[in-house]
Amino acid sequence: MKFFHSIRWRLQLWHGLLLALVLAGFGFTAWQLQRANQMNRTDHELEQRMGLVEASLLPRNGAGPGSPPPPDKPRWTAREQNLFAGMPGQEFYYVIWQRDGRQGDASASAPSEIPQPERIPGPPVFRSRGNFRESFHDTPGGECVLVGRDIGEEIAGSRRTAWLLGGSGGAVFLLGLAGGWWIAARALSPIAGITATAAKISTGDLSQRIRPADSKSELGQLARDLNNTFSRLDDAFARQAQFTADASHELRTPVTVILTQTQSALARERPADEYRESLAACQRAARRMRGMIESLLVLARFDSCEAPEAMELCDLARIVTDSVALLKPLAEAKDVHISVEVAPACCEGNAGQLAQAVGNIVGNAIHYNRPGGSVRVEVRREADGAILTVADSGQGIPPDDLPHVFERFYRAEKARSAGQEHSGLGLSITKAIVEKHGGSIEVASEPGMGTTFIVRLRAAVRLAGQTPMGAP
Amino acid sequence: MRILLIEDEVDLLTSLARALREEGYAVDAAADGEEGLYKSTEVAYDAIVLDVMLPLLDGWKVLERLRESRRTPVLMLTARDAAQDRVRGLDAGADDYLVKPFDLEELFARLRAIIRRAAGQTVNVIEVGGVAIDTAARRVKLDGHSVELTAREYCLLEFLAMHRGETVTRTALYEHLFDEDEDSLSNLLDVHVSNLRKKLGHGLIETRRGHGYCIG
Repeated sequence: MKFFHSIRWRLQLWHGLLLALVLAGFGFTAWQLQRANQMNRTDHELEQRMGLVEASLLPRNGAGPGSPPPPDKPRWTAREQNLFAGMPGQEFYYVIWQRDGRQGDASASAPSEIPQPERIPGPPVFRSRGNFRESFHDTPGGECVLVGRDIGEEIAGSRRTAWLLGGSGGAVFLLGLAGGWWIAARALSPIAGITATAAKISTGDLSQRIRPADSKSELGQLARDLNNTFSRLDDAFARQAQFTADASHELRTPVTVILTQTQSALARERPADEYRESLAACQRAARRMRGMIESLLVLARFDSCEAPEAMELCDLARIVTDSVALLKPLAEAKDVHISVEVAPACCEGNAGQLAQAVGNIVGNAIHYNRPGGSVRVEVRREADGAILTVADSGQGIPPDDLPHVFERFYRAEKARSAGQEHSGLGLSITKAIVEKHGGSIEVASEPGMGTTFIVRLRAAVRLAGQTPMGAP
Repeated sequence: MRILLIEDEVDLLTSLARALREEGYAVDAAADGEEGLYKSTEVAYDAIVLDVMLPLLDGWKVLERLRESRRTPVLMLTARDAAQDRVRGLDAGADDYLVKPFDLEELFARLRAIIRRAAGQTVNVIEVGGVAIDTAARRVKLDGHSVELTAREYCLLEFLAMHRGETVTRTALYEHLFDEDEDSLSNLLDVHVSNLRKKLGHGLIETRRGHGYCIG
């Protein structure tokens, strides 16, 4: 049964059950109270009249001993007699049984054949007999007095009240059900939207988003969370697709080199030096592919994990000094002078990755420099972190290319012509490393004058108290 | 047939040039977009092989500027295989489109096809009188019998046959049969023509004095 699994139906079921219980409880109590009240009133009236009848059976005041035995018929005034009158069919009645069990006097309104009650000593006893309410009592004189009244009207009234209560209860119940259904529908309606969107997304359309009706409600919160998830999924997929496209694009050229070189070399017999040339070209292409694959793997690792593996306290100055020392031979080969000016600057990070980032920036500054040019590397410490500045006197980056230098596989035209061994991933990797460390990287360049990279890293906070790596 | 190769990847450029020369084409090379555009507008090439990703001027711009002055058949080489890139290339005036990495055989076949189409031919075999020239196999038959030709002789015959009925000037022949690096003597052309006449009969190639040569 499908609707037993629907939250809306289940809500409705529980809601209906609860409502029915509450209504029934209230209705029954109200009805009982009303009935008990009426009975009390009737009993009170009966008691009054019982007293009257009993008093009339007692010897009159002033009658001394030896006075005639009390009459078997009450003697009372007209006002007292009025008490036994009432609406037709509702009059009070009385019956008196003599000491010997014979029925004595009875009022005219008394119904016929009233069974003689059992004689129970003590206070008056009340009983309900069909449509009659009766009270009986043994007088000290030994008679049994019974006073009663037809309460058919009250019973009918009580029944009417029960019907009324039941009817209005039913109406309230239906109204409550309808209201509950409406509220459940309203409360659950955003879920339908969420379901529809999620279904579209599951078929592959990741651009879909849930439109939260009320962003402060729990469902609004859920929708926001889901939207965030979808956005991240979407971004991840788009990044992945772009990455794959770029990677295959970049790998196509070296593969083409290998294919054409080998096909052309194998097409006919050739002198040994031609084979050597072809093999050398294939080797260059294969090396380029290897470099690219390594870079791709590094980036893929960055894409897949959130934080750098091992965070520690490290001194940026030490990292920079070491990286520059490694690049000195390259700088000498390119006839580029490197000046280093560092102040100790503690930051939190992975020393190996930071060294890679620094190496990429300084390596680029050397590679794209002019012979006799210079690279200035500077580490400063500021209140909120460490700042690395790498300025070169190279060819600069054209303004059109500047916003794209951190994009994967992006190479400015001049950079492309400057050398094929660079994969176009170095700055992407650098940026990924810096951002994983919560830092930022900026670039400024003036064509013909040079390029300046500025890396800002957060000061060590979390790991304060530890001794920095490489510190004395 | 003379082809211009515009490709910035040096190893690819050299291997393609070698392979195309071995196929009998005269090949000029350009390593960037500006050089490629300059050469392609200066010389009447029979076909241009144009890479999309080029320094200085990319393949799209080279094609766009080339089409302002010349209708040279262009085969674009690209590493992008998305359909929209192919559509863009063809719409921009490229005659064909080849995605890297490709097989040399396919490149040759596509080049033959665009050169053939540009010359108004629809099939690979051109028949002139009793001479059948198979441009795909680069073989010539005279009355059903194979005739051995040197690469240069074949190129000359093929070029004249492609422009059948037209008088082809000596300048045009020099432009289409020799690449920029070849330093050929002017009388070589007459030597090739005379050799062809010896092998295929004297009536095939007519000399139009002061104009050039013609295959009727």
